[in-house]
Amino acid sequence: MSADLRNAEAGSLIAEYRTSVITREMLAQYAEASGDLNPLHLDPAFARKAGFEDVIAHGMLSMALLGRLLSEHFPAERLCNFNARFVGTVPVGETLLCRASLEATELGSAVLALEAVTSTGTVAITGSARVLMA
Amino acid sequence: MAIDRGFLGYALPPFTVAASLERVTRFARAIGMTGEPVTVAPPTFMKAVEGEGNSSRRMLQAMGVELSRVLHVEQQFDYLAPIRVGDILLVDRAVTDIYDKRGGTMEFIVIESSISRDDGTPVGRSRQVILVRNPTAVPA
Repeated sequence: MSADLRNAEAGSLIAEYRTSVITREMLAQYAEASGDLNPLHLDPAFARKAGFEDVIAHGMLSMALLGRLLSEHFPAERLCNFNARFVGTVPVGETLLCRASLEATELGSAVLALEAVTSTGTVAITGSARVLMA
Repeated sequence: MAIDRGFLGYALPPFTVAASLERVTRFARAIGMTGEPVTVAPPTFMKAVEGEGNSSRRMLQAMGVELSRVLHVEQQFDYLAPIRVGDILLVDRAVTDIYDKRGGTMEFIVIESSISRDDGTPVGRSRQVILVRNPTAVPA
């Protein structure tokens, strides 16, 4: 399961996947599982009042989907940090292309550059993670 | 409405959360992880732990911030030890910064959590930045 960081060059793609369609049902399940019941993600009328056309995905759901790149390629013991900036919103019905590329290796660890991009090309998340070399 | 800077340092009483099999599995399934039984929590599970009992919403309400004006704009996690199924976790949350930009039309609240096991072993830290949109603020 472990991605090969030792032989990767800076800038090279380490892992990527596209999520399934983010449905209202997923938003409801994530709200229930995370305890984040903000109606912005559940109630279209509330979302319109907040200035959106419809409900949007929880930033933390998008970050969790991006985080699957980390948990599916590295054991939890090797993960040092995981940071995200929510730079674009994700409307319900979208998918996210999640990518991790190698930014740098230093002192026994690697810094990965992360991003999640919608099917229309909107960057939803830019982020980073530090993982220990095996 | 500007956020009272007196809320800098505002903290919830520390609370306890059980990383039960049911709870960790429900979170993993909600983010599309299927298959093998879950033994280690996914990387962002700390968010569900710190959010126990609607804690983020309660903190914002105490500060007089309307939910329709907030957006989560930044999130950082530091990992000190994996959270495993069966762990009992202790959570400390506090407001560690409040600042504004663009003449007060954008205010930012930083909330940090420290999470440890009930035996005292630290498992991680979380830092979130919340944007509060104040369209009616008059730019300075």
